[in-house]
Amino acid sequence: MKNRLRVLRAERGWSQAELADRLEVSRQSVNAIETGKYDPSLPLAFRLARLFGAPIEAIFTDEA
Amino acid sequence: MICKSAAARRYYVRFAVTMTLYVIALCVTVEAFVRWHPRGALAYLLALMPAIPAIGLLAVFGLYLAEEKDEFQRMLGVQSMLWGIGGTLSVTTIWGFLQSFARIPHFQPIWTFVLFWGFVGISTPLLQRRYR
Repeated sequence: MKNRLRVLRAERGWSQAELADRLEVSRQSVNAIETGKYDPSLPLAFRLARLFGAPIEAIFTDEA
Repeated sequence: MICKSAAARRYYVRFAVTMTLYVIALCVTVEAFVRWHPRGALAYLLALMPAIPAIGLLAVFGLYLAEEKDEFQRMLGVQSMLWGIGGTLSVTTIWGFLQSFARIPHFQPIWTFVLFWGFVGISTPLLQRRYR
């Protein structure tokens, strides 16, 4: 699943580690999601959406 | 898993303690059988003693999976366990056929424990590298 995580993170000037701290996950988890190697569960996707103040579909797209 | 979450730290401590208990139990059992040649119920009890912390290691891993809040790290833990199970089943199946038909030496089931954790230990850093 593609996502706009890197762009949204860059807009806020956050490093992967900072985003990981805010989400209470490991930096590796953020990297895996950002690079599309891991699709987060719905609860984590909602946490991301709340953090960025955007709907889930504005962060993730179901394109291959 | 090689992450620094609170659950991972607890896992490392519990794993080290349980592994130490396993080594102690194994030494006590070996020494007891070498020196005193126990028989009957005592022999069964002593023989089973190292199995308790060995099985405990699986419980320690299960606790980690239950306590880890990072779902991605949980997935990595489950994947490394699957590699451990798959690797152990593969080796023991191959050995079983070779033992039955090619008459290679008998495989001691006690080594499945070593094999399993060996595969888990090898797969964990490889999986971490994949997602680094």
